Amino acid sequence: MQLRDYIIRRLLILPILIFGVSVIVFTLTRIGGSPIGVYLSHEMNAEEVAALEERFHLNEPLYTQYWYWLKAALSGDFGYSGVASAPVAEVFWPKFAATMELSIFSAAVAVTLGLWLGVFAGTRRNKWQDHVTRVVAVSGASLPLFWFGIILLIVFWANLGWFPVGRSNAEIWASIAHPTGFYIVDSILAGSWQGLVDALWHLTLPAITLGFGAVAIITRMMRSALVEELQQDYVDAARAKGLPERLVLNRHAKRNALVPTVTVIGLTIAFLMQGAIAAEIIYRWPGLGRWMASAVVRGDQATIMTYVLFTSVLFLFANLIVDIIYAKLDPRVRLGD
Amino acid sequence: MTSNLEGTEPPVIAEVRDLRVHFGSKRGRVHAVDGVGFQIRDGEMLGLVGETGCGKSVTGRAFLNLIPQPPAIIAGGEVLFRPRGGAACPACAGSGCHACGQTGGETLDLLKLPQDRMRQIRGARIAMIFQDPGKALNPTLTIGVQMAEVFLQHKSDELLQDAGISADDRNLAANALRRIAHQEDRWLDRRLKRFPPLRQAAGRIQQALDARVAAALAETQIANPLRVMRAYPHELSGGMRQRVMIAQALACDPDLIIADEPTTALDVTIQARILELIKTLQERHRTAVLYISHDLSLVRKVCDRVAVMYAGRVAEVGTVSDVFSNPRHPYTQGLLAAVPRAGARRGHLASIPGSVPELVNPTPGCRFADRCSQVMPACTQLDPVLGSVGEGHSVACFLEHPPHAGAAKIEKALTE
Repeated sequence: MQLRDYIIRRLLILPILIFGVSVIVFTLTRIGGSPIGVYLSHEMNAEEVAALEERFHLNEPLYTQYWYWLKAALSGDFGYSGVASAPVAEVFWPKFAATMELSIFSAAVAVTLGLWLGVFAGTRRNKWQDHVTRVVAVSGASLPLFWFGIILLIVFWANLGWFPVGRSNAEIWASIAHPTGFYIVDSILAGSWQGLVDALWHLTLPAITLGFGAVAIITRMMRSALVEELQQDYVDAARAKGLPERLVLNRHAKRNALVPTVTVIGLTIAFLMQGAIAAEIIYRWPGLGRWMASAVVRGDQATIMTYVLFTSVLFLFANLIVDIIYAKLDPRVRLGD
Repeated sequence: MTSNLEGTEPPVIAEVRDLRVHFGSKRGRVHAVDGVGFQIRDGEMLGLVGETGCGKSVTGRAFLNLIPQPPAIIAGGEVLFRPRGGAACPACAGSGCHACGQTGGETLDLLKLPQDRMRQIRGARIAMIFQDPGKALNPTLTIGVQMAEVFLQHKSDELLQDAGISADDRNLAANALRRIAHQEDRWLDRRLKRFPPLRQAAGRIQQALDARVAAALAETQIANPLRVMRAYPHELSGGMRQRVMIAQALACDPDLIIADEPTTALDVTIQARILELIKTLQERHRTAVLYISHDLSLVRKVCDRVAVMYAGRVAEVGTVSDVFSNPRHPYTQGLLAAVPRAGARRGHLASIPGSVPELVNPTPGCRFADRCSQVMPACTQLDPVLGSVGEGHSVACFLEHPPHAGAAKIEKALTE
């Protein structure tokens, strides 16, 4: 099978997966309680509650309720958020974009840095560079995100004052248009260097906090995969052809070591999306974090539904990309067995 | 010792002298190769036989300087190689002297050669066939790409010439193409190569490359080289994969091929055909082959001479007919007796009593002393060295060369 056919096949499956995810998410959210809970008060009598239930079709079977929800969602109506006191669709995007910008930026940095460090350590196995990398990686994997984030905050914001908190400088933010909601993209579109620098400056601390754990996992995985590949016969065979070490590493060992590492990267992305909420609260990042935390506590189902659905879909896309890279790297995957 | 008065014997192309390779382990130094020495003559097939762990594979890898250090430590010795058509011998300027074995060619010590010189030899002058072709081929690259690497590494100038790019062209496009052919291409070169004017020239290089790869594959009796070039290793059978490895080894017409048990990982039904193929190609190309094997009957079938290794040393070396019809070392005798024969009494398989000694910090004396039926007091004290027992036939055993009285004293003086 060609790589193109593989991608098409995976894309065709995607809508079915999204549908399945929405069914599961809907069912689970309904198990969590009645969606009108957020509107009820002690002064309401039974008739008023019943009237509300009828208005939101809650007296009908679950699959009918799902149908109403799906119809509304497809037309862009994700319900009303009691916590934000506004329709979900109106408040959701700017906050979601903020969270995504942080997650994607952290993921990009973590993947680049993790792969580089993994190769650095793997090619210097059991030398001091390898040991130092191991110490960094083990701390990254074991330091709790919320604690590590607070330490960075105390040192670099409170004491040294090198980095700001929040998402942007209010003046610069106001001076440019925000068609996408992604600050980096918006400032590039507006041609504003000031905006780009400001965006990156604000991103630094939360991205380090969020990405540190992922860097650790990717580094460890890449290192051990590379060490294993370097012991394979085909590496010696490549050397026996007279290839320089540069090509032995880049064309043969590194590429094959990426195969297991890419799988781990896919899983790490889920980890990043969860961690984003904690990082946002620490750094006053105007993302979904705070809103989601109160929505869960207060049973704001429209918000929860939308958030879980969007992150699931994003995770599906991230894994699709991972699978495509995986198939590109390893012909045995796309050729199918 | 091995000089021939008639001068009909081909020159020595490679020689191992007193090679010692040790491995560091928790219990001490493992003397995996401990004073191995033998010669390979031009165009001959030398069998290197011995049990698993006797150091034959490590010895073979020494010819390509592919012994991983650490864990290995090269404790001493030389691996000498005289490439055909190499530079002139510095001692006699090509007229032939003792240092170059009357060949007039330069002698290289492969263990001391700088990395870049060694890379010019690997794959071009000395090639290797690995034991398991399933592991020695990269699973994620097509056969065509992997075969092409050999040509790009060693024949890139010829490829450029075939594609009509002369060495004098120094414009931007020619430089980019030269980098591509030399496998030093940068990111920009790979992008540019898709667009004219580079596309046509890059296509011609690829054509020249493909033609060479296809020809090399066809020589190993692969019926459909173009299909095989597009295939990944896992799509081919074990026999096919080994043919690819053989084609790759022969690609640059090397002087010496190290074949490390090339049939061991294959189906029994394929083994004979691969062996026959190696023999045919070796005779056609007049390539010297170091055939590493534990299978005596295979060695007897295809090799010209044989060196028998035991526990990191050479026990006996000579022509196949001499060693097999008149084995002089008790270990060789035991090995030959252990080969099952058709028509022998059923239910009885001969074997050598005991097992291979530990190679951690070995004590002096013959390594085979513990298992030898004809052991003498000297065997546990002194190391026997290879000594001639006939034309081109040597054995390291005190039965043939009793230690003279002075030897013990010399040995003692040396160790102190």
